Amino acid sequence: MRAKARFYPKEAARLLQERPGVREAVTGATLHFERNRLRAYAEVPIEEWRERAKAVKDHVLSHLDRYLEEAERRLLEKGVRVHWAEGPEEAHQVLLEIVRRRGVRRAVKAKSMLTEELGVNPFLESLGVEVFETDLGEYLIQLLGEPPSHIVGPAIHLSLEEIRRLFHERFGTPLEASPEALAGVARKVLREAFLTADLGISGANFLVAETGTLALMENEGNIRLSTSLPRVHVAFVGLEKLLPRLSDLALFLPLTARAATGQRLSTYVSLLGGPAKEGEEGPEEVHVVLVDHGRTALLADPEAWETLRCLRCGACLNACPVYRQTGGHPYGYVYSGPIGAVLDPGLLSLEEAYPLPYASTLCGACYEACPVKIPIPSLLLTWRHRAVAQGLSPTWEKAALKAYRKVMESPALYRLFSKALRGLPLPQDLLPLLRAWTEGRGSLRPSPRPFHELWWELEEKDGR
Amino acid sequence: MGEMRVALFITCLADQFYAEAGVAAVRLLRALGVEVDFPEGQTCCGQPAFNAGHWEEARTLARRTLRVFQEAEYVVLPSGSCASMLRNHYPELLPGSREALAFSEKVYELSQFLVRVLGVERLGEGLKGVRVAYHHGCHALRELGVREEPLTLLTNAGAEILPWEAAEECCGFGGLFSVKLPEVSLAMADRKLSTLPEAQVLTSTDAGCLLHLSGRMAKRGANLRVAPLATLLWEAYAG
Amino acid sequence: MDARSRILSRVKRALKGRPKAELPGPLHPAPLPDPLELFLRRLEENGGEGRLMRREEVRSFLEALAQGFSGAALGRTLPLDLRPPLPELPPEEAPLGVSYALFAVAETGSVALASEEGRKVHLLPPTHLVLVEAERVYGTLAEALASLEDLPTALGLHSGPSKSADIGQVMVKGVHGPGRLLVAVLT
Repeated sequence: MRAKARFYPKEAARLLQERPGVREAVTGATLHFERNRLRAYAEVPIEEWRERAKAVKDHVLSHLDRYLEEAERRLLEKGVRVHWAEGPEEAHQVLLEIVRRRGVRRAVKAKSMLTEELGVNPFLESLGVEVFETDLGEYLIQLLGEPPSHIVGPAIHLSLEEIRRLFHERFGTPLEASPEALAGVARKVLREAFLTADLGISGANFLVAETGTLALMENEGNIRLSTSLPRVHVAFVGLEKLLPRLSDLALFLPLTARAATGQRLSTYVSLLGGPAKEGEEGPEEVHVVLVDHGRTALLADPEAWETLRCLRCGACLNACPVYRQTGGHPYGYVYSGPIGAVLDPGLLSLEEAYPLPYASTLCGACYEACPVKIPIPSLLLTWRHRAVAQGLSPTWEKAALKAYRKVMESPALYRLFSKALRGLPLPQDLLPLLRAWTEGRGSLRPSPRPFHELWWELEEKDGR
Repeated sequence: MGEMRVALFITCLADQFYAEAGVAAVRLLRALGVEVDFPEGQTCCGQPAFNAGHWEEARTLARRTLRVFQEAEYVVLPSGSCASMLRNHYPELLPGSREALAFSEKVYELSQFLVRVLGVERLGEGLKGVRVAYHHGCHALRELGVREEPLTLLTNAGAEILPWEAAEECCGFGGLFSVKLPEVSLAMADRKLSTLPEAQVLTSTDAGCLLHLSGRMAKRGANLRVAPLATLLWEAYAG
Repeated sequence: MDARSRILSRVKRALKGRPKAELPGPLHPAPLPDPLELFLRRLEENGGEGRLMRREEVRSFLEALAQGFSGAALGRTLPLDLRPPLPELPPEEAPLGVSYALFAVAETGSVALASEEGRKVHLLPPTHLVLVEAERVYGTLAEALASLEDLPTALGLHSGPSKSADIGQVMVKGVHGPGRLLVAVLT
């Protein structure tokens, strides 16, 4: 999937202007998630949990080759077929082989950000396979042909009215249909898909190296169904998803659930260990595709590798006051919000992800929310510094910063500037920088006299 | 207490747009028996450049600031974000600099200084019955850990801090962010303002936040007094 | 060099000279005082319906329950004495599914269902009844995972009815798994 991050400023502005309902919907959803997360965090010794989770992830990442090899051994012992994919091409090859060999005509998919990265849906469709997104939110945006807007709730930008209209056009449901009725229609369509699909595709929340177990979390049951009913199951797993021991799930499953939705545990957790035994229900074939796609590059980055601790819980998106205004679409890539701003330059390149590291006021709410303490504000600063060093800053910014430094380096120039601010009629409309300020906030009104002049009067008054 | 001497760093935004905050801070500190110096030649801490990734420019100004304030025992600022820049980010900008490290220990935002160093929590009764909407500037709150100090000082002076759903949410100023991504910045201001309680005054530790919010209020025709925290603290003392 | 070798060598190269982080030991949370009571409470908070019953009472409970259903899909490991008096139906058609849990977890209100008994019975019927022995109700997830000797091919932790709020942020049950989860804890 190609990134369109460079359109962020225009897209954000356009969205705010043309679709104000999105801001309202996203604000409502994220505040709701945030409140639930805070309540769930308050119930447990959350700082201990976060420190511990950070330590476990740091350990896995610093021994990643060892754990990957161990996981592979266990998976193979369990009869799972293991593939390694550097990027989309190899991932597509795995699917192509299965589609041809097994005559796959229909596939059901669990929500997986990694499969979005790899362009799995378009590829399968190009082979003539009918693909059904089975997570209700993903199903909605699949019908609309839109990309996901949020890591956990892909359709939070849609209002009930928009969904009613969509179902009315697609399925002939009445415009005032209740959410239950609409869900009932989706359930019927997708139930049929589950029962007839030849292939089930998922991601994975975790891969336990000790036992070769895949762990997947959800609330609907579509992941349980997608990984149980079709004869073939393919799981795409990012290299960073590894955990050392089964016992680590006792920390990570509840921690992720609390961070993502404020639950003690997701409604369904699937712990999967290979194809079905003789006479048992379940897939005959299970494939795990271990995917790089930029992860080794990020791992090699001495300052940014910590980003790989990410659990894809979405807590940072829910906390972010910038994300809240527009949802995920303007960010132009799979990962949006605060984590997107630091993951995308690491997985892709800074050029491709620019200017996402600037889509932030550095307020720090994301860091407070993150269950594995990824220092997002600090990473944003690092990426910004690199962007400047690589010459990606716009010309006006470079010029403005140069002028700013000149003025601030010299007290004489600074005092002159201070006088000019009050003396000369500043062309507030002409200077684009000032226009960007005054358009929404009115003209800047300096104090009649700057403090550095008033100081002398204070000194006199106090008899100095 | 009479022997204590601090250097005031007014910060460029307060110097230009909220000069009253500096006057209030000096008067208050002197009234509490603290000697206040104003090192000449102070300009900007370099935060706008640092936050925008222009670290060379920021370094120049950081070194300069260290020189200007090198004699000071304490450096007090009527600004959470600038105080955080000096305290938390100068050591990052100048890694290995013992000077930057030593300097960072002497830096305080005003209310933080009053409560933690002077041990003062009661200033007077000057804010009796005043309904205050308090905006927590993000750097003060999350980088400096300044949360209770302003609230304690205001409340003890008789002010009523009104519940505000969005009190701890970022206002959308973010330095250059306000002009690089103005539409999003304004949407964030609107979020804050649409949840504003019925207050008599809006206050905060940060001039940037206040400039941004008051500007937006003016544009939308809202009429609410906006005052920097230092000003209110002086009113608390002086009545 | 295939993809595997290239990826692994990139990982090794990336980690060269990087300090190694230590692995914290596994958690040993304090055992919870009354797992049965906690389990029922948490299950209820999750939207499930649970009750304690003595094994002698199961018969009459199942008889009463059977009144509301035309048939049931049964888990393969369900003991004979725990089967409701109903015609057995395939899971695709049955209005009720009945399972026998491997264990339960009190702190999260979860039941653990193993693939040995089937998978469709856990997911397709709109109502799911799960029976679990009281001595298999663990206080914490850590205890429960530690107790597992052999992992089944698939282990599902179910903590309530299926739900989604993807349609305009309104909570809807039963998309796609069972909209009703009933648990009987047998003492």
